[in-house]
Amino acid sequence: MSVRLIRREPGQSKQSIAATLLRTCAFALVATFSIGHASYAASVEEIKARGYLSVATEDDYNPFEFVDNGKNTGYDNELLALVRKKIGVDVKQQVMPWSGILPGVTTGKYDMALTAVLVTDERKKIFDFASPTCEAVTFYATKKGSSIKSLDDLVGKVVGAETGSAMLADLKLFDEQLKKKHGGNGLKQIVEYQSYPEAYQDLGLGRVDAVANTQISLNSLVKTRPDAFTVGQAIGKPTYIAWAVKKGNADVLKMVDSALLELRKSGEMYQLQQKWLGASYKDMPQSVN
Amino acid sequence: MNAFDYWSIAQGALATVLLSFASIVVGVPLGLGLALIRWARVPFLNRVVVAYVSLIRSCPAVTLTLLIFFALPQFGISLDPTPAAILALTISTSAFNCEIWRAALMNFPRDQYDAALAFAMPRSLRFRRIVMPQIWRASLPGIVNEMTLQIKSTPAVAVIGIVEITRAALRVGARTFDPVPPFVFALFIYGLIVFVLIKAQRVIERRQPVEVRA
Amino acid sequence: MTEHFLIIWQQRADVLSGLLDTLGLLAVAAAASLLLGALLTPALMSKRPAVARLATLYVDAMRCAPFLLFVYLIYFGLPTVGIRMSNWWAGAVALILYNTAYMAELLRGAWAGLPTPMIEAARAYGFHGFGMVRHIILPQVFTVALPMIGNQLVQIVKDSAFLTVIAVGELTHQMNGIQATYFIPFAAFVTAVLLYWAICLVIEGGSGLLSRFAEERRA
Repeated sequence: MSVRLIRREPGQSKQSIAATLLRTCAFALVATFSIGHASYAASVEEIKARGYLSVATEDDYNPFEFVDNGKNTGYDNELLALVRKKIGVDVKQQVMPWSGILPGVTTGKYDMALTAVLVTDERKKIFDFASPTCEAVTFYATKKGSSIKSLDDLVGKVVGAETGSAMLADLKLFDEQLKKKHGGNGLKQIVEYQSYPEAYQDLGLGRVDAVANTQISLNSLVKTRPDAFTVGQAIGKPTYIAWAVKKGNADVLKMVDSALLELRKSGEMYQLQQKWLGASYKDMPQSVN
Repeated sequence: MNAFDYWSIAQGALATVLLSFASIVVGVPLGLGLALIRWARVPFLNRVVVAYVSLIRSCPAVTLTLLIFFALPQFGISLDPTPAAILALTISTSAFNCEIWRAALMNFPRDQYDAALAFAMPRSLRFRRIVMPQIWRASLPGIVNEMTLQIKSTPAVAVIGIVEITRAALRVGARTFDPVPPFVFALFIYGLIVFVLIKAQRVIERRQPVEVRA
Repeated sequence: MTEHFLIIWQQRADVLSGLLDTLGLLAVAAAASLLLGALLTPALMSKRPAVARLATLYVDAMRCAPFLLFVYLIYFGLPTVGIRMSNWWAGAVALILYNTAYMAELLRGAWAGLPTPMIEAARAYGFHGFGMVRHIILPQVFTVALPMIGNQLVQIVKDSAFLTVIAVGELTHQMNGIQATYFIPFAAFVTAVLLYWAICLVIEGGSGLLSRFAEERRA
């Protein structure tokens, strides 16, 4: 039942088959490489004509966005509800795994990543960020009663983080620092997960020794399972979390920023921060670009 | 697991069935079209179909789904998750169905076809009246078998966030921190769906026996 | 577009490790499932109803279950009964258990299709039991089943892509990581698709060669 690419007709030599095969492969390769890409960022006129702003949100990242009994909820989702009232256009939200959100913004699929995006220098080259929604530092968490009590205890351990996340990047940097400090010995392995719930499950089962995430998310985890997990120390530098648009998309940014700054002035953002994140960050800059 | 959890997994099962159904409805005729192109040996398209079938049959459903959902927007084709999932499943099933239809076409007795030609039947009539009624019975077991395989590969679309049965069970498990019961329940529902399909195949086979060639 | 492929070329160490993981899973799962399947086939065809029914139950269960669901069950279920193993091995075990059923089923089909005169002749010459299975039946069964075994190997490769959800570092998982970090979805996944195609072409070519060799031996 196998399919052979070339059927050998009587009289057709092996050389001519090879030549045909080579020609087909070359043609396919040239076709792939010569396809340019047509991505676009919608301007304000296009958005107003279309009638909606398309955003992408992660599906399971406590406490920023998650699904509870069928409803999208969490800090970012409730902030979105408030922004919707002020922004003047409809917002179409797509919920999907993290690994598709930022590439979705770069390829023009979505106007904005309305999710917990950490502001890093690498990302500033490709994205512009809206007014920040909170501050974050990357920490690690372990099982309660684990032998890991300090950063140096992580040498030779297995640590997990989410694919394509800034926490993963922080973890890799931290690994380099460990290697420098301990003469070439760093983490034993870094495991990449599709989303954090799976990472936490593995942490509970002992398949990984620690998980790297923002301190906000880890605190939320420990609040729900204080008997199982505990938060360690910081492995990254303090940074901000903001919604991201493709670089140069100033129009969308203006629309969103005006709504966010209004919410800051009215104090509603700080109330939501207190409710979901356990703290309010009143000293954030207005723009992080 | 509370009642809402069972309900959400059942909803996931519904999503699975609908996605599979949509992809089968489009994929089976599409496979027939591809098989006809190969049977008729249309000069350039023939090679294209051969390469397409070979490529898609070796491509994992997960990778194909990720490709269609994340990569196509680079060419301006931006699809929502559900249409992207249906497209990925349809492409996948059409390649397999092409082979099944082609096997039936290859085994079609040439003399019947020549007799129809001798009577100057136009091509469409030849196909509609002579070829099609016989090959669809011959390829039915293969088609239904492929349908069950399709339903079993539907969980691949969970990677783009569609809440079908596997992702629903996963979410419940992540919430309750007790992952095994939701998966057992999902497995049970799945087994039910596949069982129904296999039974339907047996019934259809019994009602429409393949004709004995004179 | 070309610079995207250049990024992938720069990350070729990761791509290679993913490719090797996939091939490793294929090798382990193929070998183990063929072996276990060959051991299971006599049970499937056993005259004792209890044994046959148990074996058939196992095979039917695996054929009804979708692989992804089965993977999750193994991955989450095993630790609850105390067996703790790494993601890679959990994935390999899932592949093995799943494909043993399929291998047993297709070997059984080939076995049942063996011509009875040959078996009667073997019995007349004094072969029976394990000796007959080993010298007469199994070689024939494997040569007849070879194309279907090749198909099943292709299926193993495709099923290995599911293991990305339990964080096994196989090809799809690595490509997803690269595309999420460098924002190059098309280049990453097209490369993955082409690599899978290459693997499956090699499998099909190999099985074609082997079956031609088997034909010559038979004739």
